[in-house]
Amino acid sequence: MKFFHNIFRAWRHETYLVFTDIGVLLFFFFLPLAYPIVYTLIYNPEIVTEIPTVVVDRSRTAESRQLARALDATQSIHITGYAADMPEARRALAQKEAYGIIEIPADYARNIGTGRPTTMSFYCDMSLLIRYRQYLLALTDVRMDQTMTITAQRVSQGGLPTTTVSGLPVDQHAFFMGDPTQGFASFIIPGIVVLILQQSLLLGICMASGTAADRRRRNNGRDPLACHTPAVATVLGKALCHTMIFLPLAYYILTFIPHMFRLPQQAHVAQYMPMMLLMILATSFLGQTLRIFVRERETSLLVLVFTSVVFLFLSGLTWPRYAFSPFWKAVSDFIPATWGLEGFIHMNGNGATLADTASSCIPLALLALLYFLTALALRKALAPRGLRSTTNRCPADTRAD
Amino acid sequence: MLPSLRRGIATLATRRIYIVMMIVVPMVFTFFFTDLMHRGLPQKVPVGIVDMDRSALSRRVVRQLNAEQLIDITTDADSYADAIARVRRGSIYGFFYIPADFQRRTLAGEKPTLTFYSNMSVFVPGSLSYKGFKTIAVTTAGQVVATTLQSAGLDPGSAEALLQPFGQDIHPIGNPWLNYSIYLSQSFIPAMMALLVMLVTAFSITVEIKQNTSPEWLATARGNIIVALTGKLLPQTIIFSIVGIAAQSVLFGYLHFPLHCHPARIILAMILLVIASQAFALIVVEWLPNMRLSMSVLSLIGILTFSVAGFSFPVEKMYGAIGIFAHILPVRYYFLIYIDQALNGIPLYYSRLYYAALCVFPVLPLLGLPRLRRRLARPVYVP
Repeated sequence: MKFFHNIFRAWRHETYLVFTDIGVLLFFFFLPLAYPIVYTLIYNPEIVTEIPTVVVDRSRTAESRQLARALDATQSIHITGYAADMPEARRALAQKEAYGIIEIPADYARNIGTGRPTTMSFYCDMSLLIRYRQYLLALTDVRMDQTMTITAQRVSQGGLPTTTVSGLPVDQHAFFMGDPTQGFASFIIPGIVVLILQQSLLLGICMASGTAADRRRRNNGRDPLACHTPAVATVLGKALCHTMIFLPLAYYILTFIPHMFRLPQQAHVAQYMPMMLLMILATSFLGQTLRIFVRERETSLLVLVFTSVVFLFLSGLTWPRYAFSPFWKAVSDFIPATWGLEGFIHMNGNGATLADTASSCIPLALLALLYFLTALALRKALAPRGLRSTTNRCPADTRAD
Repeated sequence: MLPSLRRGIATLATRRIYIVMMIVVPMVFTFFFTDLMHRGLPQKVPVGIVDMDRSALSRRVVRQLNAEQLIDITTDADSYADAIARVRRGSIYGFFYIPADFQRRTLAGEKPTLTFYSNMSVFVPGSLSYKGFKTIAVTTAGQVVATTLQSAGLDPGSAEALLQPFGQDIHPIGNPWLNYSIYLSQSFIPAMMALLVMLVTAFSITVEIKQNTSPEWLATARGNIIVALTGKLLPQTIIFSIVGIAAQSVLFGYLHFPLHCHPARIILAMILLVIASQAFALIVVEWLPNMRLSMSVLSLIGILTFSVAGFSFPVEKMYGAIGIFAHILPVRYYFLIYIDQALNGIPLYYSRLYYAALCVFPVLPLLGLPRLRRRLARPVYVP
């Protein structure tokens, strides 16, 4: 019973500290509540459409104009004008009036008429890959259509039996799973929000410990607000407080945000919440381990900036983990969000169940265990001697009595 | 001026955090980024194949898929359900489905359908697997027709003209390899630099207020705030510029990323970025002369920089109310200069406004200097 009472005391103490520290509140509540909305608003236009493009038409025939019209009719391309020659087109690119140049060669129509293969050239500004991608999709569609039209014409003129070549003998159909519209927000937000969850918890913990260190400095090495419960109870009690705060936030972030912005949402809440519980526990213990490196409140902010970007890349959201070198793969294995993100993406996009994502949940559970032990060991090692079993009462105790 | 400078240099040596933030973190970050994506394109996406036909033709398709460099067939699934389950588990990023009776129906002219599934929840591997599958599906269809046509008596040349009457040459300007590292490192590393400059600037000024040493600092400049700030920030400008140029030399020199302009132009942009970022932080410090608040604001802005500056999603397609924030970030202008000069190699004339914008930033903090001076003369630390 004493054990549970100690956990309860540690929990009450941590809760008291969290809710009386505006800096920690900022990380624990403002960040997870506001940032998912801000991020989704940035990417919410989802896809890039109607990219301004110029045409250099050297053929100037009905066929070449028809090609330009077909390209203009796609979702991605918007033909803003004709340039007389390549230098003029490049000037448009330099002035950012266009991001692509379509060049139709002089013999375009003649080649179609004489039954020879014909080509067009496309020059693409590569500042952003997303534009290139949209261009490529549109160009592929147009190429397929043109091929069909030209082939059908030639076959009917050539006197071949049309049954032999009525288009291609094999049909093909592509399916996009998880993000059928291939929108940018639909892809990136489910991953980012999981990372936000981890980072806000981690940094809140680091900031709270920075404050405690500041207090110790001001009081000759002793923290007047410290709560002296046994190490196991302290670690568990703190984790209990973090779970209490972050489980509802996880529900908000993973259920409400996709719902608000109509992002893909295949997962059932009963599938991902247990996984998130594991991730929150692992993160809480990780934070309680890392706290010893934070000796000042402000240092935690520096950690925020640096780790957020590094963790984003280590999670494999932008650059897939199978392409990592063994070293970086091993590093990323120790970050709870890597697994949480991978599991959640497969649940959210592909409707995976808890059992399907066992490859993410088991590492999460192992990480939770590992960081629990490290947090415990550090707390035991660093506990000031002689204070371990004092009858010092927590400030929260005093208030509650 | 000299006493302020001496003090500015001396304080940099007193705390470990300066060395960490100014030298270690930028170097580690540059190494991390370039090493993580050194392959350029994450080829060999693990994918699956579902061959329900097991005929000579279907095996030919499988062999071609195997030869495609974008994908790597790691799984031979028994059924559609099996393949989908593997996608859910995350062991493959897509699969190619060959229906039963594929060969028979192809030869009979019944138009069977090849289907391929790509997991777009994971964008890059999903897109690459789509591209690989599409190529093979088109080639397969083409080969079948070529065989049919040649057996109908057409010579191979005419058959090809019938099959591929319309080709496209696609030229990705500046990055023909579609290298991801070129695309991401060039924006994320400078953005991280700018962020570190801002945080260190804010830290070095507000720490004087926190520790009550700001009157002493002002005294070294005989109360002249401009001299005091120059003395403190100039050593940082120099160190950060050197570190920034070192990062550039890794990218352009060691890794041979595209540099289609004179190196001086991009080096100038880096120095201007450092100064503009210092000015940006100075504005925030003038407005919030408190260590925690100013650094919180800078960190929160800094984390959004990577998204809102339009490194991956174009600013002009964002909502207007969000897109305008891109224009207040110094690193946005550095990015635009990089695109114009290093990547596209267009005349300097087209980037004049971006250089000018970077030069405007250092002028803006002049407005708030009297306010900052008052706070420095009478420091009040609010925790």
